[in-house]
Amino acid sequence: MGDSELAYGSSLTLDSMKVIAESVGIATLGDDAAKELADDVTYRLKVIVQDAMKFMHHSKRQKLSITDIDHALKIKNNECQYGFIQPDSLPFRFASGGGRELHFIEEKEIDLSEILSAPPPKVPLDVSVRAHWLSVDGVQPTVPENPPPLSKEAQKLESVDPISKLSKPSNKDSAGKPICGKAARLKASESVHVKQLATHELSVEQQLYYKEITEACVGSDETRRAEALQSLACDPGLHEMLPRMCTFISEGVKVNVVQNNLALLIYLMRMVKALLDNQSLYLEKYLHELIPSVSTCIVSRQLCLRPEMDNHWALRDFAARLMAQICKTFNTSTNNLQTRVTRLFAKALQCPSQTNNETGPSMASMKESEKTPLASLYGAVQGLAELGPEVVKVFILPRVRWLGERVEGALSGIGGADRLAAGNLKHQLLKVLAPVVRQLRQPPDQPEDYKRDFGYLGPSLQQAVSKIRSSPSCSTAGGAVAVVTCTPPLLPTAPSPSPSNISHTTKTETVTTRNLVIASSTPQSPAPSTPPPQKFVIVASQQKPTQIQSSSGTGHIVVHSSQPTIVRSQNVQSVVVTSGPAPGGAAQKLMVVGVQPQHNQGQVSQAPVSVVAKPVFARGGGGPQPPPELDDLSHLA
Amino acid sequence: MSEKSTPLLAVLQLLRKYNLKSTEDILRKEASLGDVECESLDLPEVELASILTAHHTESDPFTYELAYDGLKKFIENSLDLYKYELSTLLYPVFVHMYLLLILYDHVEHAVSFLEKFGIEQEDYYQEDLKKLSIVKHKDQIKGNELAEIYSTNKFTVQLSRDASSQLKRYLHEQKNSSVIINIINNHIQIEVHDGPGRTQAQVRATAGGVLGEPMKSENRTKVYYGLLKEPDIQVLPAPVEDEEEVEETPDKPKKKKAKKDNLFMKKPKSDPNAPPNDRIPLPDLKEIDKVEKGKALREASKRVQLGPDSLPSICFYTLLNSGHTAISCDICDDSTLLAVGFNNSNIKVWTLTPIKLRGMKSAEKLQDIDREAGDVLVRMMEEKDRDTCRNLFGHSGPVYKVAFDPFKTMLLSCSEDTTVRLWSLQCWTCLVVYRGHVWPVWDVRWSPHGHYFASSGHDRTARLWATDHHLPLRIFIGHYSDVDCIQFHPNSNYIATGSSDRTVRLWDCLTGSQVRIMTGHKSTIFTLAFSVCGRWIASGGSGGDMMVWDLSTGGPAASLPPAHTAPIHALAFSRDGTVLSSGSLDCTIKLWDFTAITDESPIEETLNNPIPKEDKYLLQSFATKSSPVKGLHFTRRNLLLAVGTYESSA
Repeated sequence: MGDSELAYGSSLTLDSMKVIAESVGIATLGDDAAKELADDVTYRLKVIVQDAMKFMHHSKRQKLSITDIDHALKIKNNECQYGFIQPDSLPFRFASGGGRELHFIEEKEIDLSEILSAPPPKVPLDVSVRAHWLSVDGVQPTVPENPPPLSKEAQKLESVDPISKLSKPSNKDSAGKPICGKAARLKASESVHVKQLATHELSVEQQLYYKEITEACVGSDETRRAEALQSLACDPGLHEMLPRMCTFISEGVKVNVVQNNLALLIYLMRMVKALLDNQSLYLEKYLHELIPSVSTCIVSRQLCLRPEMDNHWALRDFAARLMAQICKTFNTSTNNLQTRVTRLFAKALQCPSQTNNETGPSMASMKESEKTPLASLYGAVQGLAELGPEVVKVFILPRVRWLGERVEGALSGIGGADRLAAGNLKHQLLKVLAPVVRQLRQPPDQPEDYKRDFGYLGPSLQQAVSKIRSSPSCSTAGGAVAVVTCTPPLLPTAPSPSPSNISHTTKTETVTTRNLVIASSTPQSPAPSTPPPQKFVIVASQQKPTQIQSSSGTGHIVVHSSQPTIVRSQNVQSVVVTSGPAPGGAAQKLMVVGVQPQHNQGQVSQAPVSVVAKPVFARGGGGPQPPPELDDLSHLA
Repeated sequence: MSEKSTPLLAVLQLLRKYNLKSTEDILRKEASLGDVECESLDLPEVELASILTAHHTESDPFTYELAYDGLKKFIENSLDLYKYELSTLLYPVFVHMYLLLILYDHVEHAVSFLEKFGIEQEDYYQEDLKKLSIVKHKDQIKGNELAEIYSTNKFTVQLSRDASSQLKRYLHEQKNSSVIINIINNHIQIEVHDGPGRTQAQVRATAGGVLGEPMKSENRTKVYYGLLKEPDIQVLPAPVEDEEEVEETPDKPKKKKAKKDNLFMKKPKSDPNAPPNDRIPLPDLKEIDKVEKGKALREASKRVQLGPDSLPSICFYTLLNSGHTAISCDICDDSTLLAVGFNNSNIKVWTLTPIKLRGMKSAEKLQDIDREAGDVLVRMMEEKDRDTCRNLFGHSGPVYKVAFDPFKTMLLSCSEDTTVRLWSLQCWTCLVVYRGHVWPVWDVRWSPHGHYFASSGHDRTARLWATDHHLPLRIFIGHYSDVDCIQFHPNSNYIATGSSDRTVRLWDCLTGSQVRIMTGHKSTIFTLAFSVCGRWIASGGSGGDMMVWDLSTGGPAASLPPAHTAPIHALAFSRDGTVLSSGSLDCTIKLWDFTAITDESPIEETLNNPIPKEDKYLLQSFATKSSPVKGLHFTRRNLLLAVGTYESSA
């Protein structure tokens, strides 16, 4: 019966009829009666559905809806089904047990009071008309309103089986390319001798577009760049240029890494981001070019000319996020992308002596040059962290002790760049590890245990963990937080805070109604000649309209600092400045915690918004030429 | 005893009734009944009949399969010359056998019969078989749409003379089974035509109607498919030319003038196929209408010539945030207004130009206007209104069609609430509600000359109305199922209808009679379009199939390859008649080379070889971004406007 049953429909079973009869109070329904009823009900239901199909067709739909059934009932002089309004299709669930199978529609119990108290639903948007060109003289322009000329599936097919492109009938559906003149002749000649597997010539327009886009992406005009990236992220029909774009990126990264041109590397990564965001592109074919480029930007030893000043950390963070996005999108069981990427980063974290001895002596015996640079370690940690907590647990946690030693070594050593790097690495490690450790360990957090288990980083980690534990909502708090930290250069020649920086931050203060803390602290650095670094921290409370933040100023700001701190803010209810427990010699660190006004004053531990001061950019104060990356970084943050 | 012998007794009674003594004796002897209950046999006539029919030869369920199998084998083994024609017999025979089995209560046999032979039927009948398969009881035959169509009408099969004699001989040989003969006698109309048997392609071209092919006699009437003589518009050429010359560069006007003269010369040429201008009384053109016509002519002189090498540009209007609610649309003839009918009974009218939609002034203000003023029509409109979109409320069900009148002063709409409404685009109110249809109205169209309109609906009728009568002028009855679409002939003398019974019919507005019935569509017909010259009609169906028919003969001129994968709901001819565009729910617009389609049709007839060149018909296909196409319209300059609703994948 199998096939034919499918072909000519099924019918209601006797059991269903009996169940339905029971539900209306008829306890014993005879088999004959049930059979008779089942047949008749089946017939009538089918007739109704057939009639409903007519209404569906005339409503120019291909999916039957409840209103169609209602109208079909109406023309049969039956009452409509009331209260079955469902805009989407109902999920039909299946359950089995005790040898019986059951299909049912899940009906959730709705709490009326919840609906009544809920804010009214949004008014649906009104219907509006929008016009665009679907075709201009027979050519379909590749604008976002039109579908991509080659769908993702087709691009995939083409990459898997290039011959399919040849066997396709001549481009009936081709769009974006005018078929006239030379192209037409070319096509004619192609049909005579088919040699090329896939043509790769770009039309003049496409070549121009490629030139414009690449120039804009790496040029100095930020508005043009934004437009170009927007185009890359949205335009359909870029697939023909994709190989060239990818080559452009990978070559660009190769050259600029050698030249330590941070700005260009950032631009190139933003191009990668735009391409990843484009829904109509099938990037899988070009991952072999993109992944090395991206990973270079994560773990490269040096990405900028002045590692102690330029903020290559942001680039590493950004590239790590990109890598995570790539892994998430393209990982399949055949390419094992995520495994390979994880292995790559894990290798960077590999301690050369890890296998035999994990304690100091072997470290000390190693030459400085043999060690993985701290910057690379930072990149690897960041790359792994973006891949999720599980990865952190497996690959970073076991190496904390060793990493801590490296950090410790660098912090106690000389050389500003190394210290900065170590500070960043430490901070990053704490940020990444704290949530994972919180999950792994039970509440009584003893600094000694941490010290024993994690070495140098133990105590700091313990602090971070207990902080997370005390503020459960912190991870989900939706407060808008902008952190701007300006670390003035450690150059002896530079004067105190550059005017440009100040004007920048004060402007933020006046424009926004956010709470602003500007803390200035003198460093406890061993080098006495360095000017005090400036940190500007802007903290915004949650931007809920209900808050009275704008009028009276809310937010309690706690600044842990080992240094005297100047707090300039009218909008803050309370400011608690405490001395951080950081050991002497640690880099300046600002922990800024905003508290919602509903909380009691001074309850630091219940801070819903936790802000970790994060260096975002560092630059030479008062330098004659502002480096171009200044404005870029706001995009990365 | 009594259970078993009742039929026998009934037979005895029958024998006695006809006074067949010896047979009765033999029966008695054989059944060893004795002569006991002779007198007790006094069954009423009706019961007697029912008892006997239960034992009618046709009631033996096994003979059906055998008979059908035999017929199938006979057809398979007959000469190729007759084979394909004869094979059209199989489906009606099959259907009626199934219905008879149901009628005689052999449900299991009926089901197994359907399962065994149902799959062998032509693919375009499968949907019908599915509908028929739900009938599983004799009570259900009455009341089921399809089963009733089959049992109350005759299925028409066309056979060549030789084929029909072959069939006769075969039926003669089958003495033991009268099933097929009875079915053919009762339910099938065999029409014999002279000439050779038709080929597979020819048979397939016209097969597909619910009740087979039309009778030849039904398509004999002459159809005046030519265009009417256009009334001369003397008022306008002067201003037209002035404007032209202003616009043109000074070195060109001569050439342009000559061309336009040509355009005006062509029109008055009388067409032998055209009906007399007064065959249907048409309204006189008002002054304002003449201005409109003049504008149209002026625009037409600027239009782009289309062809395979110069495809039209397409401007796509996407209705955002409409989801599935926007179900019908129309663009007025001069392409300035767009009307959309919604699921929620609403109608919206948008302006597509910077000119805003204005309402009329209030009655007090209107009194102040000088009625003799030249610009009275402009003056009576409210200057303050600056709407780009206006709503028309009044229907109480989904609005299945909206239509602008040729002079864009009025709008018609039809709805599930069984009414047709006429709206004024000056007052923005409903003017008339036309009640007449009993069930939902699927389609409504204006006559190209205004005044008349036609509607069609679920009640299987099409109706012709005049705007000044609240009752229909004509009711066209003949379709076996819903009349899904309707279209006025460009000369206003005929109406074409397409139906769920897979036929296209042409009706004469003057006599109200059916003049053409065209079969060959394999699915429900949802849209129709007359060619600009009036001779051809294109139709699109739910299966994404399209056909072009020749009105002069009533035969299919071309069956376009099924390029669409979803129902076609929009067809439009370019203004010069060279390109046919089709829009479908599969989110594509396709352009077809109509000159090629019509050019090749005479060759087809001579060569009997219609298939091969079909690939050349399709010029280009344009996909939209998940926006099913719900309307198409060519502007007077041959720009294609398309309307669709954006449906996000979620």
